[in-house]
Amino acid sequence: MYHTFEVDGVDHKLWLSPCRQGNRLHLTDQVIAPVKFVSHNDSCGLLTIAGEAEPVRVVVDGDVLHVLIRGRTRTLRYRDPLRTLASVAGQDNSLVARAPMPGVVLTTTVSPGQSVSAGMALMMIESMKLETIIRCPQDGVVDRIHFEEGDSFERDAVLVTLTKEGR
Amino acid sequence: MQRITSVLKVNSHQFRNNELHNRRLADELKERQRAARFQRPERELERLRRQNKLFVRDRVEALLDPHTPFLELSTLAANKAYEGEVPGAAQVVGVGIVAGREVIVHADDASVKGGAWYPLSVKKIVRALDIAIENRLPVVHLCDCAGGFLPLQAEFFADRYHAGRILRNQSILSKMGVPQVAIAMGHCTAGGAYVPALSDYNIIVEGTGAIFLGGPPVVKAATGENVSVEELGGAHMHTGVSGTSDYLASSEMHAIAIARDIVAHLKRPAKASIDRAAPEPPLYDPCELYGIIPKDPRVQFDMREIVARLVDGSRFHEYQPRFGTTLVCGFARLHGYQIGVIANNGVLFNESALKGAHFIQLCDSNRTPLLFLQNVTGFMVGREYERRGITKDGAKLIMAMSGASVPKLTVICNGSHGAGTYAMAGRAFDPRFVFTWPQAQISAMGAEQAAGVLTHVKARQLAREGGRLSKQELETIREPILEEYRERSSAYYATSEIWDDGILDPIDTRSALAVALSASLNAPIEAPHYGVFRM
Amino acid sequence: MHTLPFDTVLIANRGEIAVRIIKTLRKLGLRSAIVYHEVDAQPPAIAMADVAIEVSARTPIAAYLDIAQIIAAARKANAGALHPGYGFLSENAQFARAVIQAGMAFIGPTPETIELMGDKIRARNFVQRNGFPVAPSAIEEDDPATFVSKARAIGAPLLVKPSAGGGGKRMRIVRDLDTLEDAIDLSRSEGQRYFGDGRLYVERYVEDPRHIEVQVLGDAFGNVVHLFERECSVQRRFQKIIEESPSPALSPELRERICETAVGIARAANYQNAGTVEFIFGRGEFYFLEMNTRLQVEHPVTEMVTGMDLVAQQIYAAAGRELDFSQSAIVSDGHAIEVRLYAEAPERGYVPTTGKVLLLEYPHGVRIDSGILQGQHITTAFDPMLAKIISHAPTRMDAVTKSHRAVQELVLLGCETNAGFLARILADEAFLGGQFHTGYLEQNPHIAAGNTSDGLSAFLASAALLTRAVRDSADAVPELHAAIGSWRN
Repeated sequence: MYHTFEVDGVDHKLWLSPCRQGNRLHLTDQVIAPVKFVSHNDSCGLLTIAGEAEPVRVVVDGDVLHVLIRGRTRTLRYRDPLRTLASVAGQDNSLVARAPMPGVVLTTTVSPGQSVSAGMALMMIESMKLETIIRCPQDGVVDRIHFEEGDSFERDAVLVTLTKEGR
Repeated sequence: MQRITSVLKVNSHQFRNNELHNRRLADELKERQRAARFQRPERELERLRRQNKLFVRDRVEALLDPHTPFLELSTLAANKAYEGEVPGAAQVVGVGIVAGREVIVHADDASVKGGAWYPLSVKKIVRALDIAIENRLPVVHLCDCAGGFLPLQAEFFADRYHAGRILRNQSILSKMGVPQVAIAMGHCTAGGAYVPALSDYNIIVEGTGAIFLGGPPVVKAATGENVSVEELGGAHMHTGVSGTSDYLASSEMHAIAIARDIVAHLKRPAKASIDRAAPEPPLYDPCELYGIIPKDPRVQFDMREIVARLVDGSRFHEYQPRFGTTLVCGFARLHGYQIGVIANNGVLFNESALKGAHFIQLCDSNRTPLLFLQNVTGFMVGREYERRGITKDGAKLIMAMSGASVPKLTVICNGSHGAGTYAMAGRAFDPRFVFTWPQAQISAMGAEQAAGVLTHVKARQLAREGGRLSKQELETIREPILEEYRERSSAYYATSEIWDDGILDPIDTRSALAVALSASLNAPIEAPHYGVFRM
Repeated sequence: MHTLPFDTVLIANRGEIAVRIIKTLRKLGLRSAIVYHEVDAQPPAIAMADVAIEVSARTPIAAYLDIAQIIAAARKANAGALHPGYGFLSENAQFARAVIQAGMAFIGPTPETIELMGDKIRARNFVQRNGFPVAPSAIEEDDPATFVSKARAIGAPLLVKPSAGGGGKRMRIVRDLDTLEDAIDLSRSEGQRYFGDGRLYVERYVEDPRHIEVQVLGDAFGNVVHLFERECSVQRRFQKIIEESPSPALSPELRERICETAVGIARAANYQNAGTVEFIFGRGEFYFLEMNTRLQVEHPVTEMVTGMDLVAQQIYAAAGRELDFSQSAIVSDGHAIEVRLYAEAPERGYVPTTGKVLLLEYPHGVRIDSGILQGQHITTAFDPMLAKIISHAPTRMDAVTKSHRAVQELVLLGCETNAGFLARILADEAFLGGQFHTGYLEQNPHIAAGNTSDGLSAFLASAALLTRAVRDSADAVPELHAAIGSWRN
């Protein structure tokens, strides 16, 4: 799994590997070696890249690096895969309708194979003497209804699963 | 250390013929591996996409550190079994680098029969975990399996090294303090459920990962209970309710990122330290290996020429060069690591056996790992040799080789027959890794020899009954035996049965052995000690 | 030197201009007082001023527009005079009157002049009546019935302008006369919405126009001088980016004519204090555009070539003094260029940027008028201009080189700026040759876009080597495997 840095809204993959005299930098379209960075103080350093030495001014602010090289300033943001990948694919989560709390199924208003749209009522549940409508999270087709009328379920239980249409 | 001086004539007719032949074999290997790794019916790939699953090789590549080697094992397992419908036995196994750590990667290939476990799949997984145990390598399991292929259950269920051995090996690894990380990326059913459960850490992918001892149909049949996959063993239930899984991943890539993070935090015990110098490529071009191995397996060649194209700087310190000349022994370096090389230059005689036994002990004492390069039809037979104790001498060689504590690596370069197979650290003697070359042949007896013997036996039988066989009739008896032998002694048959850890393109051997050797050093090297040598 | 009739000046402004004004106040031995909104509590001016008084409002900008609070603050600080800076209330006649009524000197022109020149149509008519050149136009107010046909008669291309606008705000170019009526409707409703005034006028649009303005200075005794011109054609959406003096487009004769015209206009209006007359110049012709009755952002350009302190002159004029120099004493020496540093990303459609100024180091050898400090948070609460970099040198080429070097030497890390963009303009062939007009940047979008991949690998290398996670994963790989690289059997 490569490391990713975002620059000007574009993600760039890279990998650093050790080599004699420093490191090898693997980019999508090229490999540069050796690369080395020597810090002179908090914000000053010298970058050696493929034999060329470039003075660098840099300030690191968490995962964000503000870098000035040869009169040009850019901001690079390290995209930690644990964070960036965790937020993706929330979409698949919405193929299920979960119980917000433990309860009992009162009535089911859809049946398997039925086309449903986001926001449509799927079933009515009762919990703590309150009646709640479970709504469809996104457009799709009802795959399975996991509880029958009168069944009880736990919090977070999957009440209804959907499949995406036409897939 | 002196360099080997090659006497090979690279422009000779013979060299060119060999080269053509072996390059063709290498191309064939490459193509067969490519097909086994990547060729899948479109409907299978389509199904994976629909299920929001990645192809197993994409999973493995994402798991591994970029720009690091991956030594894949037994790529062509099951290539001669199950009508060729289970490439790689639906498993991807190899030694790779994850977060800087050497690990065993074991991944179910859900694009082949849903990742079902066939008898050879089980054998491949057991072998992978045996390697993990012997070399103390952490394991990352990428689980996505439809369950055991029940029609063949008699071949993978009950016996000692059947499927139960997977779970036993996992338990032993854990007992040894060697960590395992599992990702449930699909169903982990019945026995398969124990793979994540017996792993120190496991991650489950939301929506596609599921762990249960019995799936919904089994549950329905057993108790009448109606329950969905998600409800029965899905990610939310196992991470939030049962505690069977440690991490909930929102996607496969997320799961892999978590797995990498876990491996990054595992302890790094010290590796066995052996002599190592700065690496150096061989002086002679490894591509010349293609020109050395003769097309005709009966033709002899000098193993030193092979060695010269495998070892650092082509440098080789030969031991007892004037004694037991059918066995070449000596010290060399492989990517800087010092190794002891034992290679066949003909049939094993008394002297070669003694020399080998002695050299093995020298290496063991010196903490030098052993590399066996096999090209042997067996031991010498005959009255003179028996009277001089060749059986005893062979036994001493086997005793030394079996007892050696240093890691042993074996490459079957050409022929591997009879007791020579054993004496030269064959599979049964637990070398850490065994590799073969495409033209290798392995059998109790050479095909020609066996056909000759069996035909002779048949002929004698008929003669006793008063019959006689014509030349043509002899041929009709010989041919099928030859065919059967050739088929079942081929490298492809052997690797199909997982008698080895994979066929290598000869020019890949150097890197493969370096990775294997480095991996083997994760286990401590015991002090030398042996059984009784029959003197 | 007579003493001044006031000892304290309240600055009803912020940022770099507040700092600039305080510097002159200090030089003149005057006390400085300043108002600020809570979100603006940090910047340099607040610390530099002798007295800082907080004003509150729903939005920060509203605070600087609150006449009552500002006057109260001035009283509290015992200010005898008030400098409005630029923007905010600087051209608000009602404010000027309130200041004067409160017994303070307003450092700027009279309320009447502000009113005259603030109404763009009135100003235009005034200038035309007095015999100075204006672009052919049609004013709706004059005769609504014939407005559209008169506009049509001028011929395309046309500029539709709201009379209450100015500074390029809400102007519309019409090239196709079929769209004229739509453009007029739109402009009218915008004028109503943004300025509370839907009156319009239409003007000949000069193609490839250059924006040339002249700095003037007047006193209460009827003396008016000019301090030469500035060229401000490098603009984007009528926002100036680079200004310089002298203009590379003017011959000495034209220069003389334009400057004299400006003086004539100012004199006709009995102009007092500092002001700027803006012209549109193209194909050898120039027309009066508008007059700004305030100190302008780009005034340092004039200060550098003339050696004058304009803020000091403003204070003297407001104190009732007569100009103590004649026109002939004013000499323009060498060439000055000002570039404006903005918190925006021209590479991404000029989107405003924010962040904390983590590291700030100014370049040497140039004048820096700055309103920011290291450690300051840049937000979208105010105008995105951070600082002005002004260079002065014997020749234009030298000045360009100095500015280019300065922009590259500037270290500002933590908030993205347009510094790279400024460098690209200063290196562009057309700019170097003085061959540009107000459409120059629009017609050369590659200058704003820059080249994202150029030199990117050095940045990625630095980022990789300075990011712990990347270094750690590199260090973790065993040497053997790193040496073998991505091998597969």
